[in-house]
Amino acid sequence: MSTKKLKDKVKPTFFKEHQEKLYQALEDKHTTVEIMKDKDPLGTEMILNMGPQHPATHGVLRLALQLNGEIIEKAKLDVGYLHRGVEKIAENKTYQEFMPYTDRMDYLSPYSNNVALCTAVEKIANVEVPERAHYIRMIGCELARISSHLLWLGTLVMDAGAVSFFIWTFREREKLYDIFDQLTGHRFTVSHARIGGVANDITDTAMAMIKDFANDFPQELKDWHGLLDRNRIFFDRNEGVGVLKTEEALNKGACGPTLRGSGYAYDIRKFAPYARYDEVEFEVPTRLEGDNLARYYVRMEEMHESIRIIQQCLDKLPKGPIRTDNAKQAYPSKDEVYYSMEGMIHDFMMTDTGICPPEGAEAYHAVEAAKGELGYFIQSDGTGHPWRLKIKAPSFANLQILEFILDGEMVADTVVIIGGVDPVMGECDK
Amino acid sequence: MAQPTNLEKPRANALNKDYDRERSFSFLENIYLPEIFKALWYSFKQIFQPTVTMSYPEEKWDPPAIFRGRPVLVEDNGKERCVACGLCARACPPLAISMQANEDADDPKERYPDFFEINMLRCIYCGYCEEVCPEEAIVMSKDYDIVFESREEAVYDKERLLVPKEDLQERLDFLRTYKNRQFGQFWDFQEENNIHSVRDRDREFNSGLSLVELLERQKENDTVEADSKWAR
Repeated sequence: MSTKKLKDKVKPTFFKEHQEKLYQALEDKHTTVEIMKDKDPLGTEMILNMGPQHPATHGVLRLALQLNGEIIEKAKLDVGYLHRGVEKIAENKTYQEFMPYTDRMDYLSPYSNNVALCTAVEKIANVEVPERAHYIRMIGCELARISSHLLWLGTLVMDAGAVSFFIWTFREREKLYDIFDQLTGHRFTVSHARIGGVANDITDTAMAMIKDFANDFPQELKDWHGLLDRNRIFFDRNEGVGVLKTEEALNKGACGPTLRGSGYAYDIRKFAPYARYDEVEFEVPTRLEGDNLARYYVRMEEMHESIRIIQQCLDKLPKGPIRTDNAKQAYPSKDEVYYSMEGMIHDFMMTDTGICPPEGAEAYHAVEAAKGELGYFIQSDGTGHPWRLKIKAPSFANLQILEFILDGEMVADTVVIIGGVDPVMGECDK
Repeated sequence: MAQPTNLEKPRANALNKDYDRERSFSFLENIYLPEIFKALWYSFKQIFQPTVTMSYPEEKWDPPAIFRGRPVLVEDNGKERCVACGLCARACPPLAISMQANEDADDPKERYPDFFEINMLRCIYCGYCEEVCPEEAIVMSKDYDIVFESREEAVYDKERLLVPKEDLQERLDFLRTYKNRQFGQFWDFQEENNIHSVRDRDREFNSGLSLVELLERQKENDTVEADSKWAR
């Protein structure tokens, strides 16, 4: 609340005699300490190297913090420790082959990544996706959003000091992972969306589990609201911490809940609806304050809205095929492959050549992933491989904010602010 | 389409009913002890929640049929179905599969893999090999605890990959129900087209009908409505 005031009042100093004794003691142990002209190495100024192997930095994020006492004067970020060069890998893979790599980018909501790549390829190659596949994708994306926000909630509250909360949110995530297992075949690396549809239909078990989850989860959310909304300790850690004004958020290119916590209601699901988001009703929660607490409220309310979307999708889920019935654009059905020559030829062609967008075509398509705007820019040279594939990762954009909002905060608030911005390094470093 | 509203200036769109007093506390909330006891009471209640964890090595998890575990080769009547076409090796994103085809003049299916290896250190269990296989020769099993003691041991050869199709029945049934079906069309009658298919080797296709009768049957089938039109 009053970090700025504190900064003006407090001029941390050590006793001069004490410092001298320390220097003497060091020299007695045959150490020489180089004293610079204006800076005393044993003074209050220091550079703190946080990470990349720090548990509270949510991955391999490295921060170099210049401190004066307990106040951060300047913060600098060092990213790239998880760089695997997926954009370059994409140039050597067909679009279909590249899809599993997107799971490993934002590994907290892999489903949105799959959908983002597939919709971008569908846009550049003009592929029609069946209605049912759109709805299955939406259910998957919203479940992924809840899963990602649950991890954020658990770690934020843990960063603020309450460890058992983490276990409760992970209990709910365990249910979500079981759903993903039944829906897609894997708990974590789902690889479910395909160009032109999805890999398989929703099974009966998965359907029942999603319905159960959509019914039970609002009660859990309500309990958590009851625990945190009126809790002064949680507020003292989060209120007025990491403040990001709207103009600054826009200038620095924030996206997702970080931007919406600053009052700008930019949500791609509303702004440029993909899949069938224009056919479901939902609100875009925003707050004006732009501090960590605002981000907390925005994300909590987003989870409510996700449940609302899932319930509408379950009601509207149409019958029909789940992949486009055009063998030049997507795999033919296995029945066709097994029992007809054309089907088998198409199967070989789709695998070896893949889907070929027109030569010189370019497309950018963004989806609203859990962390913000996740976009794929594809340039095609007419072959089955992208000529260039650029990924606009929301975590990378949000980390640029982090450097900015850390300046002037207390060093103890660093982990809470990182938790509030919620970066995923797999996506940031690509 | 729902138009985005009011993007020009920042606004608060709160769904919280208590938005007005979101950031202010009453006296009781300010001394925060009641809140702590509330949270402790919530923690206490969690003791009686059902456990969701599993004591793993003692208690094994049985994956559902949809689960993509270790890829295996289907063994059909003591032989592999694989015809070594190399499509799975082509589709494999991490390039984990390698094979060499060989020919056998006595066998009606003619080609078989001389060696077939999957490097399990590379495999990412995406299931593309299963998805592209034209002979249903490689499928994903339920096997998930895969352990090796050296890198050489991690390269699985044909001997270790072959699993009898009876043991994979659950997965094969799942594929038939959820993945193989033609998109809303009646396709069963086409099965007779491919009587040389390796996966249908033990099926009797000779119905004793003449070619003319077969063509008539097909014409009749074409007019019949499919029994399942994506019923779910």
